[in-house]
Amino acid sequence: MADTEATTGPGTAADPVTRWRPVAGRSLAGARKASRSTRAWRVGSSAAIVTAVVLAVLIVPPLVALDEQAVHLADKLLPPSAAHPFGTDDVGRDLLVRCVYGLRVSLLVGVVAAVVATVIGTAVGALAASAGGWVDRVVMRLVDVFSSVPHLLLGIFIVAMFRPGVWPVVISVALTHWLSTARIVRAEVLSLRSRPYVDAAISGGASRWRVTVRHLLPGVLPQAGLAAVLMVPHAIWHESALSFLGLGLPTHQASLGTLVQGARSSLLAGDWWPTLFPGLFIIVPTLAIAGLAGAWRDRINPRRRSELML
Amino acid sequence: MTGPVPPAGAPAPALSVRGLSVRFRMHGGTHVAAVTDARFDLAAGECLALVGESGCGKSVLASALLGLLPENAETAGAALLGDGTDLLTADERTLARTVRGRRVGLVPQSPAAHLTPVRTVRSQLEETLRELAGVRRPDLRKAAAAAAERASFPLGHLDRYPHELSGGLAQRAATALALIGDAPLLLADEPTTGLDRELVDRTVDELRRHVGDDRALLLITHDLAAAERIADRVAVMYASRVVEIAAADDFFGDAGPRHPYARGLLNALPEREFTPIPGMPPELSALPGGCAFAARCDRADAACGTVPALTGGVPLSTGAGGASTGAVPVSAGAGVACHHPVTAALEAPRA
Amino acid sequence: MLELRSLTAGYDRRDPVVRDVSLTVAPGESVGLLGPSGCGKSTLARVAALLHRPDRGQVVVDGEPVHGWRHRAPRDRRTAFGVVFQQPRLSADPRLSLAQIVAEPLRATGRAADVPERVPELARTVGLGADLLGRRPHEVSDGQLQRACLARALVLRPRWLICDEMTAMLDASTTAALVAVVEEYRAASGAGLLAVGHDRVLLERWCERTVEWRELTGATGATGGSAAHPAAE
Repeated sequence: MADTEATTGPGTAADPVTRWRPVAGRSLAGARKASRSTRAWRVGSSAAIVTAVVLAVLIVPPLVALDEQAVHLADKLLPPSAAHPFGTDDVGRDLLVRCVYGLRVSLLVGVVAAVVATVIGTAVGALAASAGGWVDRVVMRLVDVFSSVPHLLLGIFIVAMFRPGVWPVVISVALTHWLSTARIVRAEVLSLRSRPYVDAAISGGASRWRVTVRHLLPGVLPQAGLAAVLMVPHAIWHESALSFLGLGLPTHQASLGTLVQGARSSLLAGDWWPTLFPGLFIIVPTLAIAGLAGAWRDRINPRRRSELML
Repeated sequence: MTGPVPPAGAPAPALSVRGLSVRFRMHGGTHVAAVTDARFDLAAGECLALVGESGCGKSVLASALLGLLPENAETAGAALLGDGTDLLTADERTLARTVRGRRVGLVPQSPAAHLTPVRTVRSQLEETLRELAGVRRPDLRKAAAAAAERASFPLGHLDRYPHELSGGLAQRAATALALIGDAPLLLADEPTTGLDRELVDRTVDELRRHVGDDRALLLITHDLAAAERIADRVAVMYASRVVEIAAADDFFGDAGPRHPYARGLLNALPEREFTPIPGMPPELSALPGGCAFAARCDRADAACGTVPALTGGVPLSTGAGGASTGAVPVSAGAGVACHHPVTAALEAPRA
Repeated sequence: MLELRSLTAGYDRRDPVVRDVSLTVAPGESVGLLGPSGCGKSTLARVAALLHRPDRGQVVVDGEPVHGWRHRAPRDRRTAFGVVFQQPRLSADPRLSLAQIVAEPLRATGRAADVPERVPELARTVGLGADLLGRRPHEVSDGQLQRACLARALVLRPRWLICDEMTAMLDASTTAALVAVVEEYRAASGAGLLAVGHDRVLLERWCERTVEWRELTGATGATGGSAAHPAAE
């Protein structure tokens, strides 16, 4: 048969001179490593920015006794300097302090709204999927109807019903953002529900409630959590947009949206800093949060193969 | 021991595996030995069936031969193609441009997952033809039909998407893709999992037909019936090691397997004794020092505390000294890694 | 008596995969149902285990017709069936350990107190060591996971066992071991078995009676049996 050649020695097992080569020495693996280091850089910088932002909004206002509302008309519209790194606005308030306070409000609105929206979305999605039948059809058609109205328009409608303030904005953002989560959770539950292990659980006597709580919800939580994190930047933008339109927070209260709005007139006069810095404060932290969420998504990707390919 | 094959008078084997080992680095610096010191030759025109239960390391061996191991893997030894290319050390560019598809064709385990779901079978065949065979546009359609025909894929189904195909047809589509590069070595990794007996027979027969006289087939399977149907030789893997290599006629015929594990596996078949081997295989992360099968073996004794070498000869004595006692080094053709190989003839299967 | 009377079932009412099939399994009897891939025998197995509502026809268990399927079936009805599926990877919740997987039916039916006694006992029966019980599905092989799935099916001491291609993914030794466990349980409990599969040699060795899918579908069976299946396009 294949006796073309005989080995030169018996393949003894405890071969002490086994020379192991890492597979990673290959060129593609090298390329992969490069992409991995850029990924690490992205995650690292995102994490650093998010940490800095959280520290800034949590620690700076209580510790540093700066009054964001302090008006110094003599110092109005100063360009960035050592005393005022971000410059001052048209009534002489320090823009760095106002940006930190604004970020604090925007972040609060974003996080609370995202959490509320995720809870609503997960509950509705799970209910629709596990109830099935007409409940599912009615609920999901309602979701479709709400989705067909532009978010911002719906949000404006909701804030218009209340006096301006933080909570109407939270409610407005939360009520317009749970729709996509409900869809994601429903799809995920439906796909999990057809798995044989759910059949096995039913055959093992599990109630509808037990199947949902023990087997279905734990399966969708990573997805729902990811949706929640991705929603935070979205909610911040939404808040900013509402405030920019003058419908969100009262104009004297610093939020990133009101800051940009208040700076419009000075932009026309050629003063760039009152819009630039609040704008950067909207863009950079939201990108950082999205970056972290992306890394998380890569981690929970179910298609990821287990380390051992047995 | 692991050097290139000397150019002897006979043609070099299509694949020559020399001391191939794979281990995985795990968290905490521990290692899992998935393949240990595998050695075998595969000649052109030959079909070698690598059998063993799930988790014995046979799929890792296949991945190693294709250069598809994950990053935490380490390899040792060599796996040489007929022209001397070492599959274990070749860089990714070489593997991607000149090896995969062209010199080693893969018939995958789950064809449905191997095919691109959003494209028709025809477009996948045409793309592969363009890439591997350099076929240009006017001839592409004809070439795709020819490629489909080679794997008995019905031409009427060429414009279907993978999810519209039955299991057997998806398997044939994947086989057609694997055959396009005219690779001298075909690697079939559990090509019949989940298919019914008739489709299994049909699939392996087709593979055998494609091997013909000038190609070689490494069939990795847990299905002994499929192995019996087409293999020239059988290699049995247990707990990361090849424990027996035998001519298929001997293995499934009167002589029977000589390794107690291989014999137990064969006797577990419903057409034979239908009795399981007692116990379970050891974990690859915690292999015993000696023979890995000793704990489940009724022939085990003190000698089994050392790992037996894969040898071709019958030991002269079973006393102390074990592996070195008069054992003849294994030829690439047949051998058994056991201190006390079974010599009795095998009971014939039930009618 | 488990009686399947003129069942028509599937996932699309216009194109059912099971058409007018009847089959009876007596208590203590083992019946092998042979059929090619994709013929609908798995759907029939799910109907028999009260996991899939048929479009037409009747399932009668011990003389009582079944009116509800899945959650609509009374709990003691559902748990009278132990089910083992083809793919252990899909049949086990990936977040639970093997011990939790085996214990789940006990917990779901308010018998958590039996867990410390029953789970190790069943683990021994199916040949799972204590170290394996603490692992999660991705840390064990297909064969080991299927052993846990069989233990789960037996933990409530079902009167009927439905094995749908239980051994299709397994090697010869594990197949023989799991079949031996099923037969041991049946000998002790007198449970009836419906084993669905495509391996004639296996089912004929395993079961007292083997029926062919095409015999069940009778005149309406369009495929004309295994010989005509996908082979003949």
